[in-house]
Amino acid sequence: MVPSQIQKIYLDEEAEEDGAAKDLLKGLPGIPVERIQDKRALIREFSSMADPIGTGKKILFVTRFYGRRLKICPGTSHHLCCGYHVINTVTNCPMDCSYCVLQGYLNNPFLTLYTNWDDLLHEIEGFLAGNSGSLVRLGTGELSDSLALDSIFPLSKVLVPFFAERENAILELKTKSVQIDQLLNLGHRGKTVISWSLNPARMIEEEEVGTSSLKERIDAAAKCQEKGYLLGFHFDPMIHHEGWEEGYREAVHSLFNRVDPKSVIWISLGGFRYPTQLKAIAKERFPQTRVFLGELFPGRDGKFRYLSEIRVEMYRKVAGWLREVDPGLFVYLCMESREVWEKVFGWAPESSRHLSQLFEERVKEFVSITRRLQR
Amino acid sequence: MKIADCGLQIADCKKIPLSQIDLADETFSVNFGADLRRLRSSIGEIGLIEPALLREKPEGYQIVCGFRRVSILRELGDVEVESRVFGEKEVDPFKLFTISLHENLTTRGFNAVEKAVALDKLVHHFQMDRRSVIKTFLPLFSLETNEKILDTFLVLARMEDELKRYVLEEEVSRSNIRLFSTFKSEDRMAILSLVLSLKLSENRLREVLTFLHEIAQRDRLDVKEVVHRPEINAILFEKELTPSQKTERIRKILWDLRYPRMHLAEKEFEKKRRVLSLPPGMSLHHSPFFEGEKLRVEFQFETLEEYRSALEALSPLADKKEFQEMMESQAEGRGHRAERRAHRVQNKTTL
Repeated sequence: MVPSQIQKIYLDEEAEEDGAAKDLLKGLPGIPVERIQDKRALIREFSSMADPIGTGKKILFVTRFYGRRLKICPGTSHHLCCGYHVINTVTNCPMDCSYCVLQGYLNNPFLTLYTNWDDLLHEIEGFLAGNSGSLVRLGTGELSDSLALDSIFPLSKVLVPFFAERENAILELKTKSVQIDQLLNLGHRGKTVISWSLNPARMIEEEEVGTSSLKERIDAAAKCQEKGYLLGFHFDPMIHHEGWEEGYREAVHSLFNRVDPKSVIWISLGGFRYPTQLKAIAKERFPQTRVFLGELFPGRDGKFRYLSEIRVEMYRKVAGWLREVDPGLFVYLCMESREVWEKVFGWAPESSRHLSQLFEERVKEFVSITRRLQR
Repeated sequence: MKIADCGLQIADCKKIPLSQIDLADETFSVNFGADLRRLRSSIGEIGLIEPALLREKPEGYQIVCGFRRVSILRELGDVEVESRVFGEKEVDPFKLFTISLHENLTTRGFNAVEKAVALDKLVHHFQMDRRSVIKTFLPLFSLETNEKILDTFLVLARMEDELKRYVLEEEVSRSNIRLFSTFKSEDRMAILSLVLSLKLSENRLREVLTFLHEIAQRDRLDVKEVVHRPEINAILFEKELTPSQKTERIRKILWDLRYPRMHLAEKEFEKKRRVLSLPPGMSLHHSPFFEGEKLRVEFQFETLEEYRSALEALSPLADKKEFQEMMESQAEGRGHRAERRAHRVQNKTTL
């Protein structure tokens, strides 16, 4: 899927000798490659185009990353956050969801691949050594889709075995793709969660351009489950739309028709939320999008969110259906307020730290169950 | 660009009969919304100062520069006009158009619509490459050199004349021009009939356009169906209201249509607030957009007496049944906590 969309590769001269860069170029013969030194000039040139974001999705920029790639998830103010850590391995996404916040967030339009993997592993190693008392969760899906480019940039082949040998960490690869083939024979030792973002089938078709269908994602999840991977699912962003109830119920039903809830380590629910600048950009690129037609207002963190009674209604419904599937499912709200937690679940974590601790307990419990099953 | 740089021989002026000039041929014209009063008065008083620029064609002449001047002379009953004439094959039409643009830029400048018409002709009539138009002509018109700006003016060029006039009279911003361009022509005309009756700032116009677009899209209607809703028509035809008053009322109608659940929540809150019969000078507010359960009381005071008096007036509020009910419903979510805990399977339902 991905290689056919790539029209050009810009290669930073400094990355030319990296193994990941060489393998990438070998895997994409026939794609014109231009060596560059000054990426800022390149970014400036593309940024003045009519649709730099769309154009950038057809262009790979292969370079090195200098600086820290591992940081705590930025989360948001005035809301409960779970203490997740993000690793920046790829910037930008080849898919084109109408609501994607990256449209308003990144000033570099290209699919940017960082090839200095050794530096990355070194950084993660140092971080884990400094957090040996905790069980940390790290994911690569903040500024890109974790697996969408994995067929040409197979970082999973490095990260999954790396985390398999780490006792105090768990890796999450979050995706809307079905690029899982390279995962199926990796020794993960239950230390990698493959997770999918989910939405009703019609919503995926209309608003998540270039992604795999709901059925495809669920089938891929089932395959990963057969290989013993932990699974996660993220109903995020949840979009309030005509027929939402039926759509989400059907999505939950379809999911658990194929996937055993016992392998599901966590499920998040997150209402659509976005920074102010996103709407104008998204509507220009997707004039027919319907995601902004709901009743969305500025929240305490400045992001636009649905009226809280709408969010509570949606969360209650979906959480209820999930409870019917398996009361043991670990369901949490992403970037939500205490008040909403309380209205949905009847209680709320005391603080973000408390929420993070609950996650840690869940992961420990889950990892030990998985290990017992594997013996 | 100088005419001499085109390698042209500038002919001496000659008088050309107006009857031979095709005023309907607007190949080189970008005129729109011209206010001809001063020019008419000047020509009427002292005659034509600057000759027109014409180009020969098989059946007469087309105007390259001087549409307004020629038009006024005809109005004044003149029979001929002092002109410089290019032969039909003497100069490339694109060069002539460029000459015309430069000439007008230096003498009178262009309004937004005229820039739009000029850019539209460059791209669609003279088939000029878009990148070249951006690089060469946008700076000439004092516009930023990017595709978005070019596209904005190209859509403006294709809009209805009535809307173009509105854009000029109200100095409509580019972002609002882009918003207008997202509507179908008949919807644009319906919107125009609405906005002409209102007093709209740039932001208010944007808000109205956005509301109309989103309501129509959400409800799968034509925008004109929203515009012609009875409650909106009733306001528009209300003679006693000023444009500002009409604007506020229509804005409120559109807001309520766009956000029906918020409207209901506000109505419910207002109902509860009213029965509290708060003392004068005091107000009660919910959290912004009902995000959170906090309530806020506001009052003002200048003296200690006023402060004490306000607190005294506030104090009985806690004993009012209606206020207690309001507080209970605010805490409804929290209040279920104990109940749900009793039913919650330990560590199972959520975390």
